[in-house]
Formats: sequence, structure tokens, C-alpha cells
Amino acid sequence: MAKVQVLNVAVLDNPSPFGNPFQFEITFECMEDLAEDLEWKIIYVGSAESEEYDQILDSVLVGPVPAGRHMFVFQADAPNTGLIPESDAVGVTVVLITCTYRSQEFIRIGYYVNNEYTDPELRENPPIKPDYTQRNILASNPRVTRFHINWEGCTERMEDCENVDPSSNSMLPPSCLPGKAPPLGVLPDNSMDCL
Amino acid sequence: MKLLKPSWVSHNGKPIFSVDIHPDGTKFATGGQGEDSGKVMIWNMAPVLREEDEKNENISKMLCQMDNHLACVNCVRWSNNGLYLASGGDDKLVMVWKRAAFIGPSTVFGSSSKLANVEQWRCVTILRNHTGDVMDVAWSPRDVWLASCSVDNTIVIWNARKFPEMITTLRGHTGLVKGLTWDPVGKYIASQADDHSLKVWRTVDWQMDANITKPFSECGGTTHVLRLSWSPDGQYLVSAHAMNNSGPTAQIVERDGWKTNMDFVGHRKAVTVVKFNPKIFKKKQKNGSSPKPSCPYCCCAVGSKDRSLSVWLTSLKRPLVVIHDLFDKSIMDISWTLTGLGMLVCSMDGTVAYLDFSLDELGDPLNEEEKNSIHQNIYGKSLAITSTEAQLSTTIIENPEILKYQQERQNSAQANSGPGAAAPESSAPKLNSVMNGESLEDIRKNLLKKQVETRTADGRRRITPLCIAQLDTGDFSPALFNSVPILPSGSSMSSQLTPQLSSDSSPGQASSMGLKPTHDPMLTSPPPNNTANVKSSLLLTSASKIEPMKALDSRFTERSKATPGVTATASPLNSNSIQVSMEPSVFLEVENEVSMVAGSKLSQLRCSRDGRDWNTLLPSSVVVAAGSSDILAVACEDRMLSVFSSCGRRLLPAIQLGTPASALHCSAHYVMVLTAGATLSVHWTVQREIVLLQTLIADKSDSLVQCADFRSCLPSHDTPVSSGPLAVMQGRNLNAGRLASRLSSTPHHLQQSMTLAFLENQLASALTLQSAQEYRYWLLIYARFLVNEGSEYRLRELCKELLGPVHKSAATSWEPTTLGLRKRELLREVLPVIGENLRFQRLFTEYQDQLELLRNK
Repeated sequence: MAKVQVLNVAVLDNPSPFGNPFQFEITFECMEDLAEDLEWKIIYVGSAESEEYDQILDSVLVGPVPAGRHMFVFQADAPNTGLIPESDAVGVTVVLITCTYRSQEFIRIGYYVNNEYTDPELRENPPIKPDYTQRNILASNPRVTRFHINWEGCTERMEDCENVDPSSNSMLPPSCLPGKAPPLGVLPDNSMDCL
Repeated sequence: MKLLKPSWVSHNGKPIFSVDIHPDGTKFATGGQGEDSGKVMIWNMAPVLREEDEKNENISKMLCQMDNHLACVNCVRWSNNGLYLASGGDDKLVMVWKRAAFIGPSTVFGSSSKLANVEQWRCVTILRNHTGDVMDVAWSPRDVWLASCSVDNTIVIWNARKFPEMITTLRGHTGLVKGLTWDPVGKYIASQADDHSLKVWRTVDWQMDANITKPFSECGGTTHVLRLSWSPDGQYLVSAHAMNNSGPTAQIVERDGWKTNMDFVGHRKAVTVVKFNPKIFKKKQKNGSSPKPSCPYCCCAVGSKDRSLSVWLTSLKRPLVVIHDLFDKSIMDISWTLTGLGMLVCSMDGTVAYLDFSLDELGDPLNEEEKNSIHQNIYGKSLAITSTEAQLSTTIIENPEILKYQQERQNSAQANSGPGAAAPESSAPKLNSVMNGESLEDIRKNLLKKQVETRTADGRRRITPLCIAQLDTGDFSPALFNSVPILPSGSSMSSQLTPQLSSDSSPGQASSMGLKPTHDPMLTSPPPNNTANVKSSLLLTSASKIEPMKALDSRFTERSKATPGVTATASPLNSNSIQVSMEPSVFLEVENEVSMVAGSKLSQLRCSRDGRDWNTLLPSSVVVAAGSSDILAVACEDRMLSVFSSCGRRLLPAIQLGTPASALHCSAHYVMVLTAGATLSVHWTVQREIVLLQTLIADKSDSLVQCADFRSCLPSHDTPVSSGPLAVMQGRNLNAGRLASRLSSTPHHLQQSMTLAFLENQLASALTLQSAQEYRYWLLIYARFLVNEGSEYRLRELCKELLGPVHKSAATSWEPTTLGLRKRELLREVLPVIGENLRFQRLFTEYQDQLELLRNK
């Protein structure tokens, strides 16, 4: 079981202009004192079509983490508009918050983000340079994917780094190995069926 | 019989693999498949039992859900004392859960259901050993062991008093082990597996006692579970899936010679689960009929893959009732209420059914005493279940005074449980409201500005998270400390701690560290142990947890460096046993690092004196220990000297030595300490009056440090009823929440010891500070705790001390007063407390009589 449970993520300063930094207030709980820091990342998916436009907005170490309930605000600068394809400047995309321990990702929280012009005129005739959009994060509907990692030392890797979630609409991380087996726990109905 | 299918008990349609009713009958747990993980849910029993509660929207149906298992949960089982819940799943793990009392409702982040958890159950231990899905778990009688079985063909026995310690692994099955049951007397454990065998193992040496294969030879490995069960009288073991003439049966195995002559026949498909009713019944006496003695019998429920359920009485040849088509899929688990009249059944189809029987149908359940006497007749006294509470209920009250106290107690208990008893305790005090006078909202507003951000050596941002709550507070000793919720966390401790910490690293001391006595005959020479030194620095950092973030951060960033002052000289003994006295024979045993609580290591001191044992906990590793026939002394790594009476009562508050102790010697009432700083002190303790030849508590500020340093004790610190120097000193630095948090993850018996150690320390501190009011206050709490926890030796020693000699003689040095309080008056106050526990009525009577005698003189 994961030693760290994310209890809540509050999206601050939302909606906000596109250029504002992202702010997430993260509350998590830790079962026992962690020997190493947690590493949190905010990844902005520039284009839903391709991973190559993903931008790591920031990564930050969080520690020390003794047992208990903790919170912090993770602030990261807005994405570099120059790296976002023009066609994707407006519309729905995704921002991901990931957390790794000992370089192993154990949770990935995805939010849908809608970028649009607030001005009706601009909405009708979007300018070439999409700088003045408003960013609206769909805070009420986080998609949480949890991964089974080895929390104890790095000596032995988990023999099966199974990916637990793959729920139908989960946002699979670009770098993540898709689950190799059908979701565990859904037992095949063999021989258990009844009359 | 009444039958009900509460439709609201569901895992959103996913299969429910296991169900278990809490021993107190107020809630039940289900385990099974969740959305994308395993799921354990805890439900309120009241809406199942009463229709009006089901309709009442204010009564929560679901109390808690836990998604922590990564894969399907196959089994959930409450411990017999009801404190813990164990769950085993396809993720190869067994998790042990415990209720967290002081955390308000919460939801699972990111889960689709927005239902809040009314009760908070927190995973306190994860038991990792199995290499395959865990199929069944079972608590032994009296919760000594927890057994788990798995598709890895093994059964693991865990030490339930000291998780996650493993006792043994039972190997021998050659197929998936799918069911476990303990013998109610605790002598055996039986397991059934897909390898066509049922094996019985002895708990004495964990060897196989019987391997029963014949009834299973025709079986195919087709059931998900094979939950077998042992009858409450211990005489019969009933298997799941067995075959007799190619018909599925539940095989009855007799304890006597493991004979397999009988079986329950009638199910059309394999039997998945058998569950005995916990009660033994006897025939209901009809009015008018001659009261002929009837043989007691047991009741057993059998569930099968054919989706039907049958209930049998061992006195009848045919089943009492058979229910077909109760479910759409196989029955997976059955659980009886402790009263023996209710039963929950769950199925693969994701539904649960409740069956309610009447006494007319099942018969008259034997009470615990009758059940005990059956056990005693069969197995002898030593093996019989002696549930003390149940026994006490039938104890005859021998003293009218006791009767009075008992009645008073019952009345007050009823008054307490008056309103709102039916509703679950949703009133768990909410924390998160106030912290250091700042509400959580305030903190959140300024969190970004306030949080500490540093740069690591490689230039990366590093944020120190703000700790908003300690992990947990278990609901310890509710009988004692049920008044005020303990608010967790806070940093008020830091100011007191800092001077102490800084003194630790003063250069003068560091230099004296090297000084070690060359030899001393009295010294139980500790083996040098390097790792201990490293660990001792961890011990210090653990204290920093409650400091403000800044201090904490600097300490943690420096954690790789060895803090100079911290490297202890004498390495602690890890586990050692010494005999300190021949006549009477006293053995002293020290076990360091018996438990690790929030970074602070606890050591256990066990003493055996004339066959009587006591033990106590110390917040640091023991370096040296010594004792005489009258007292015992131990010196710890943190330079604390503790002195105990021969019955284990703390005689003095912990004395802080200037430098670590290197040798210790006790003789009669004298304690001699040789410290690494080359000072020799002799403490003379007679009747708890202290004469010091050298260093000891010089002034109050000194003892303040000692109190603050006694870290791992349990807070009973509701707003102090008494106010005095002790309270003033501790008011600021005794941080209840922090201390309580340390208890959460410790087993119950450790909590008891910690509480005891804390109370004794309070008592001794009050005495040293000459604060009469507080002494009286803590004395009464201490007595109450002893009464509740049933520690007769200490209680007796306390009474003896308070009463003094009945007949005056010149030789005795007993003082009739302490701190201006008359000891016998104190005893008079303590006695009613003792009277509340029937177990001590002899003690009560004894001292009551002696008091009377003295008064008449």
C-alpha cells in the first residue's frame, strides 16, 4: 500500500488569465516518516495529439515528510506559449500533477483545462497570437491514477510494476507503461458462475 | 426467521467476497472488488436491524470505505476485541485497520462517490510476506495471533501483539490454501486447500497434527474460497467443499481422532463456506413439559455455489432451514452476530442478506459461564476460554459496599449511553479547526507565503510541507480520558526543547564523551554497537517534528552529518537479561527498540520477581540496569535515570544525569551511579524521600526539563482539573496531540504500559514538586487506571503504602502523611475506585476492613 495518500488538491486562482502561474494546494498524508523527499511535477499537455508538446512546468522536492498530514502549495509558471501549437491554443487540454518517490511515480492527477477567450469578439475571430485566453481548470473532476511502487529502499525492484488503474477514461501518462495485464481484481468469472 | 436483503449494502454491483460482523454488533465490514482496486467497507448495523433507522436519513449507513488494497479483497475479519480489522486481498497483502477517533469525515480524493466517511479507519500495519493472493485471514482466540493463507500454498502466522512480526510459516499444502479456522480453545488451526486436503496444525510447535484427504479426493478445485469452521465447543470441525458418493457435502471432522464419519449433505454444488454460530444452545424448555436435561448443541450455517444457504442444528438430522435462490451467484461468506441470532451472508453477485432468528427456532443460548464450564469439562481449566469480563458478570458480590459502588457505576453508565446511542458516533470531534490559535482557513490563505522554500545543493526547489495534523490518535482508554478531544500538533514545544537540544551539543560534553570506565564488576558490560550511535541521532531528530518548520528543515538538511553532541558513549544493550537478586530471586530483562513510535524508540523493561512479572516502557534505549531486592534502577541513553519499586512502580521522576551513565549499582534502597563525566552520585530512596549526595533535582526548572523529556508517555491531559506547579510547567510543553499520535500505531498492550509509565511519572513529579493537590489528582487517576487495567500487584502495593502498618512499632519508618495529605485519607478516596471493579473486591474488603479497624482504635 502506498505510504503517501493524496487527500485533496485544491486548484487556486482558477479561472485565471493564461499567463498566471498555476497554483495547486496539495494535502497529503503519510503513514510513516519518509527517508527521502517526494518529487512533485506539473506537466502541461500542450497538444492532446502528441506528447512532444508536453511541458514540465516545474518540479519541486517536498520534504522532510514525517508521518502525518501535510499541505503545501505548488506554484509553477504558466506554460511557454511558444511551445504550444497554434491550433491548440484554444480548447481543451490537460494539466497533470505527478508525484514520485525514489524516482518512481505513484500518483498522477489529471485535470481538464479549457482555454478560451472571454471576450465574445475574440471568440468569434480568434487572433493569430493566442495570448489573452482565460484558463479554466475543471477542478471538480480530477482523474486520479495510482501506481504501485516499491516504497522500501531501491534494492529490489518490484518484480511486477503493475499499473493498477487503467480505468476507461484515465489519462495515461506519456511515459507510463500501460498495464500489462487486465486490471487486477476483476476476476475471470470462470467456474464461479452458478446455475 | 426473518430475511432481509439491504439493497444499500453494495460495492456498486461489484462482487462482495467477505462479510464480518463487529463483535459489538453495531457495525459490519464487507470486502470485495472496488472500482479499480480492492475495497473494504464498514457499514452501520442499525439500519439493517431496524426499519426506522433505515429510513432515518440522519443515520449513516456507510461508515467508512477503504480503497487502499490494490486488488480485490478476499477476506475481512474483526479481531475478537473489536479494535482491529484485518483484510487480505489479491495484492498479496494483509492490512490491519484501526479506528482513528479524532479525525472528521473525509472523502477519498478522486473517487467518483462523494460519500463521506463517517468513521475513520486507518491502516496501522501492512503484513507483507505472501507471494500470492491472500484468500482468508483469521484471528486466534484472545487475539494472540493472526493467520493468513494464500494461493502461494502457505499459511503465515503473525504475532498479533507485535505486528508485523511473523511467528511462522506453515508449509505442507500443495495447492491454493483457501480457508482457515482456529480451534476455539486455541490448540489448533485448520486449513483447507485445493490440494484435496484439510490439514490441522498444532499451535504448540506449529507442526501438522492431521492431514485429512479422504473426503476430498473427488473434489475439483472449483471454488473461490473454502471457508471451513470449528464448532464453538471445539468438538467438531466442518469443512467446506467435500464429496461423498459424488455428491457435494460439508464434511464433519471430529476432534477426537479426526474421524470423518458424518457430513452435511444436500447442496447441489460445492460448499464454499461453513460458519458455526458462536453460541452453544440448549433446548428451549416448554411450559409444562418436564424439565429433562437436554444435551447442548451447536448451530451451523452452510453456503454453497448452488446459491442456497442451509442452517443446521447438530441435534437435528435435517437442516433447520434451507433457502434457495437468495442470490444470483455463489455464496462467498457468512457471519453470525455474537448473540447468535443474526447472520449476514454475502455473495459474488454483490449483495448481502441478513437473517434474523428467534430463540424459539434456535433454542436457548448458553451464557458465557455455561460455555466456559463446557470447555472446562472437556479441556480442563487451563485451556478453557476465560473471558474475564464475562466471568465477572457472574461473580458474586461479597461486600455491601461493593454492591453500592457497582450500582452507582451502572447508573452513570446508563446515563452516559442515553441519547443518540443508536446513531453511530458521528460526533467524532473534528480537528483541523484550530491550530496554535489559527484556523485551518487562515493557514490556507497564507500558505504560499508562509511555506518554507529552500534550494538544494543542486539548485532545485525544495518545499517543506506544513504539517497540519499528526497521524492519528487512537481512542485509548476511553474509560479514563473521555472528556476533551485532544487537539493535535502545534509547535509550542519547541521553546522548551531548544535549550535542551543545544545543551546536548555543547563542546564540554562532547569531550567528556570519550571517558569510559575501564572495568567495573557491577557493570553489565554492553557490547559495542556502532549502529546504535547512528540511531541515537535519529532519536534526536524525531523530537524536531513538533518544532516550527524552519528549525525542522535545518535539522533535516543536516541529517547526513553526525551531530557532535549526540554520539552516545555507552552503546545500549539490545536485549539482555540479568539476575539482580538471589533472595528473593529477581530477574531483570531489557529489550531495547521494542517498538518504534513516530521515530522514537521505546524500550521495555521486564522484571520477574518470585514468578510475578511486570513490565514498563522507557522512552530511550536502556544502557545499564541494576537492582536490589527493594528497588530497580535503569539508566537510559538519553541520560535519564529511572528508579522503580520492586512491583514496578516508578518511585522518582526521571532524574537527568549530567552525562551518560556508565555504571549503576543498587543495594537495598541505595542507587549508585557512575557517569561518564566522572561524577559519582548516590541516591538514597526510602519511602520516596530523596537525599542526594550530589547532583539531583536542584530546582524546579531542572525538573521541568525532565518532564518535558519524558516523551513517549500518554497524555491524559485534559484541561487540568488540578492546577499547581506541575500543571503550570507542563501546561505549555505537554503536547497531548503529539504524544497521542505516537500511540496510534502501537499495539494495545504497549499503550497500556505507556499510560502507566506516564501516570507514574506524573505522580512522582508531583511528589518531588511538593504539589499536594496535583499529587492527589494524579493518584486518583493512577488508581483508576490500575483498576481498569487490572494490575493487582501495583494496586496492592499502592494500598499497602497508603495504609501503612496497622500496628505501630518503632522499627517502621512509615510516615502517616505525604505532602501534608493524610495517606489513609487518600486510601479512603482510592477505595471506592477499587470497588468499581469486581475483580478487586477482595482487595477492597481487605483494606476497607483495616481502615475501619484503625478508625476504631
